[in-house]
Amino acid sequence: MAMTTYRVTLANREDATFEVEGRRPLLESLREQGVDLPYGCKYGGCITCAAKLTEGIVNQRRQVALNKRQINAGYVILCVARPMTDITLEIGVDSHGDLYRNPFLDPPKHHEPKAGIAEQRLDDGP
Amino acid sequence: MESCGPGYASPADAIKAPRETLLYTIAIYTGTGIQKPDYLATVDVDPESPTYSQVIHRLEMPGIGDELHHMGWNACSSCFGDAGMSRKYLLLPGVRSNNIHVVDTATNPRAPRLHKVIEGAEIRAKTNLSGPHTVHCLGSEIIISMLGDAKGEAPGGYLLLNNEFEIVGRWESSMGDIKFGYDFWYQPRHNVMFSSEWAAPNTFMPGFDLEEVGHLKYGRELHIWDFERREPVESFYLGEDGLLPLEVKFHHDPDSTHGFCGAALSSNVIHWWKDDVGNWQWEKVIDVDNEPHPEWPIPVPGVMSAILVSMDDKYLYLNNWLHGDMRQYDISDPHAPVLTGQVWMGGLLGKAPEVNGVKMAGGPQMFQLSLDGRRLYVTTSLFSTWDNQFYPEIRERGGVMVMIDCDPENGGMTLNPDFVVNFGKEPNGPSRCHETRYPGGDCTSDIWL
Repeated sequence: MAMTTYRVTLANREDATFEVEGRRPLLESLREQGVDLPYGCKYGGCITCAAKLTEGIVNQRRQVALNKRQINAGYVILCVARPMTDITLEIGVDSHGDLYRNPFLDPPKHHEPKAGIAEQRLDDGP
Repeated sequence: MESCGPGYASPADAIKAPRETLLYTIAIYTGTGIQKPDYLATVDVDPESPTYSQVIHRLEMPGIGDELHHMGWNACSSCFGDAGMSRKYLLLPGVRSNNIHVVDTATNPRAPRLHKVIEGAEIRAKTNLSGPHTVHCLGSEIIISMLGDAKGEAPGGYLLLNNEFEIVGRWESSMGDIKFGYDFWYQPRHNVMFSSEWAAPNTFMPGFDLEEVGHLKYGRELHIWDFERREPVESFYLGEDGLLPLEVKFHHDPDSTHGFCGAALSSNVIHWWKDDVGNWQWEKVIDVDNEPHPEWPIPVPGVMSAILVSMDDKYLYLNNWLHGDMRQYDISDPHAPVLTGQVWMGGLLGKAPEVNGVKMAGGPQMFQLSLDGRRLYVTTSLFSTWDNQFYPEIRERGGVMVMIDCDPENGGMTLNPDFVVNFGKEPNGPSRCHETRYPGGDCTSDIWL
């Protein structure tokens, strides 16, 4: 059976590219090819491995850490996300600029989505 | 009294113990952008030593991404009468990996070594628990509060280990209607345990969202347990006075029913006790007001993430992590604490941006008091994602440990000018220090039967 592979471009690593399998989590595939990535729980719960998806689509239905605001900002959880197309990512803690916001400095605006809860987030993946 | 097991016969004996010369603090790289393991740092606190106020040893964990946080001993004064027990192993749970590292600190106290790792995957598979937090020993067994189930949903439960550090299973008979877990402390002479509430790992791991407090995703209750039956029997609904009730501490005196909880977001201290007819009561005894920030639209809460009771039960110490102050209260009358000391270090209000020559990132967070009540060691990092949210500059500057001199006779606290450990200058780059413990037991480790 032919394996489906996709191309991953790392925008903040000088556009380095990697071929990865569609059925395997991105963290696993990229680390195997020598990409130094942060991680913690490896089951989609702790956000340590969050990366910013700037092009393409992933399936990250198993993630349980991101709220709607973080998903709208493009974040994906690499330890459970699998690519469904060729994708471009910004990786590592240096991609986390929009991941957190200080609620006293920068409270949510009226038009922004409310903080999500896990049950609703389960349907957010493609 | 002749010591046969670990620890001390009584809190009064603990106060008379020799001064600490070493302490251990965990330091993290998880979430900092540096791809190195978290580690246990040994800090020299002997003023006669040439390496005073320096990290003298670093024990790296086997992998990256644990997020070491709190830690606890295999044995404490609760086994004082058991000559077969000794305080030899420090347990270091990884909040994110769920791995529990058992570290031998006795063979060479200056250079602890890894004894065993209980794998997070095994804990999740056997007990359906994740998110290890507080470690207490219970005679020859060890209880660890776990904040989530295997998928990171609340309320989690309690992991029970035997003295070989094997998984026995769940400690509790029932979680009752408890919604969240966090800290716990027990007072065996009254057959009681108190537990508090943070949030589900899936809620707090990604950073703090104020709106989720309104959505009841964060705790606001304290729970009273029948300790022998291992089940909750009563809860205090603290409401707006008790948002994010985190650390719980009983008096060290094993006969006392008085205890305290710091509600982090409300920045209040809750006091509880058993009244004359045998009912548990609670009241708010300290209330730290939110402070306006010169450039921000929303007033900033103190965020009282930790509290500590001195070994003589006379003083309560608390931090305001976002404001940047440490406080000392005289709690001789536990119903009416009196503010007796305050030190500023870091924080968002700009009161003390530099301490002993180190530019601070973060505010006072965890602290440990010497058994004699005279030296308070304070660290600045809370939790990697929350650090990154409120103090993003901590990525470049790292954490700091300072020492505050405390006056247990007259009250009062002053920053010690000769002691500072700058974790921003660690060999692998800026790391962040959190909980601190001493080899001989300290003011947050020991419970008396």
